[in-house]
Amino acid sequence: MSTPPGRGAVRVDLEQVFRSAYPRVVAVAARVLGSRDEAEDVAQEVFLTFGRSSVPAGEARGWLSVAAAHTALNHLRSGRRRASREEAAGGNDAVCADVAETVVTLDERRRVRAALARLPRKQAVALVLRHSGLSYAEVAAALDLSPGSVGTTVRRAESALRKELNRHASSD
Amino acid sequence: MRHPTDGTLRRLLDEPAGVADADREHVASCPVCLPALAAAHQDAALTGAALDVELAVDVDTAWSRLTRAVALDGRRRLPAPPPARRWRAALRSPLIAVLGVVALLTGASAAAAADWLQIFRTEQIAPVTITQADLVALPDLSAYGTVEIIQDVDVRESADAAAAEKATGLSVPRVGELPRGVTGEPVYRVGGRVSVAFTFSAERAAETAAAIGETLPAPPPGLDGSRFRLNAGPGLAAVWSEARGVPALIVARAVAPTAYSSGIPFETASDYLLSLPGLPEGVASQLRGFSGDGTTLPLPVPAGQLTSSTADVGGAPATVLTSRDGVLAGVVWVDDGVVTTVAGSLSADEVLVVARGLRP
Repeated sequence: MSTPPGRGAVRVDLEQVFRSAYPRVVAVAARVLGSRDEAEDVAQEVFLTFGRSSVPAGEARGWLSVAAAHTALNHLRSGRRRASREEAAGGNDAVCADVAETVVTLDERRRVRAALARLPRKQAVALVLRHSGLSYAEVAAALDLSPGSVGTTVRRAESALRKELNRHASSD
Repeated sequence: MRHPTDGTLRRLLDEPAGVADADREHVASCPVCLPALAAAHQDAALTGAALDVELAVDVDTAWSRLTRAVALDGRRRLPAPPPARRWRAALRSPLIAVLGVVALLTGASAAAAADWLQIFRTEQIAPVTITQADLVALPDLSAYGTVEIIQDVDVRESADAAAAEKATGLSVPRVGELPRGVTGEPVYRVGGRVSVAFTFSAERAAETAAAIGETLPAPPPGLDGSRFRLNAGPGLAAVWSEARGVPALIVARAVAPTAYSSGIPFETASDYLLSLPGLPEGVASQLRGFSGDGTTLPLPVPAGQLTSSTADVGGAPATVLTSRDGVLAGVVWVDDGVVTTVAGSLSADEVLVVARGLRP
């Protein structure tokens, strides 16, 4: 995705890109992880890699978003998450539930993460990027999809996520 | 007409403009598609709610954290083999470039000769204090002529001490007792010889002088177009790393730099170079103070970051450098044309103990 980083050299536009893109990168990671602390850890990791890369400035936004989604999903799957953080996050991260009859409790949030982790990687990334505000064209470019198939990928992911959540809700 | 795909229905929710008019019109009146669109809308809303986060981030604090991580990451990369382009970059850096020229010319006593003649042989090292202002003021070597890489450095990992010795022809110094906190086996790295040629150009030097509003003093006869060659290496290093990858201890050895000339009276050239506009007086005066036998290698010491002192290692005068924050220390000395360095995340006393305990 990126060209090999220049050894030792930190790109000169790092601070500028960081200041403009950091909130978005954290938001992408937080959608996957549901925790601000962990999302900020992921964002640091992503910007450290970006700082050594030669990703063209014009592609930085897409690159950083995809890297944040992948890195956060890796954290989910590798079990690096700590239960204590999950508990602690309850007070810090306001997870809003706007839809009627949907109360996103801590338990439900955990189910969302588990369901995300079970989705095919491309679906999970497309879903997170789309819900982070990237356009269909941006998601398509980032994932090497045709813009036409982004809708299909996102739709499948949403359908699968709903089924996962319902399955768990009904089994409780 | 056939029904639009689920993907098209989904996009209709987010980017209706991205959906063909015909599809939009179809969906608006299709009893099959309308419920499918509603279902897509419901799933999208549920997912949006499940994934939605509202969080405030402190960008300034996060930027400080990243800055520290970048610095640490940079230190962690220290033992990485320097690629060729770093050498080229170093040669273009004002500090190395000017000191390279000065090393070539400082007090060399040999007379000009038609063949390459050794004019400089490192027998000792002397620190030259460079301030930040000096660094900014120092001109680039290309300001005085042309630089050509004859032989590029090729640093690579070596399997073990024996392989490193075989590759470089140098003996690997054996550490008697590792300092406290340094454990395990080192990684060995070796590098070949680097050779650089420099051709002095009076025209280029005059342009440089003119650019800063000065006039170039008339060059001594024979200097214009004269060539110099600087060789260094081969070398080897043993690197012990901490768990986090920061080098805990480095013991390195290399054939010290030597310089050759195609022919020029060096005392004259040296005096001339040190009088050139653009060379900070603080640096020039230190260089003028070196003995005139062409055996002292100036070692740049950034005034704000390192302090230097002298010591004795096995009878050879050594220069001890300590970072002002006390985190890093190193000692460097020359013996029989070979320069040896011991450095690490250690105190000055600790590196000296290692240096004095080395077995050749």
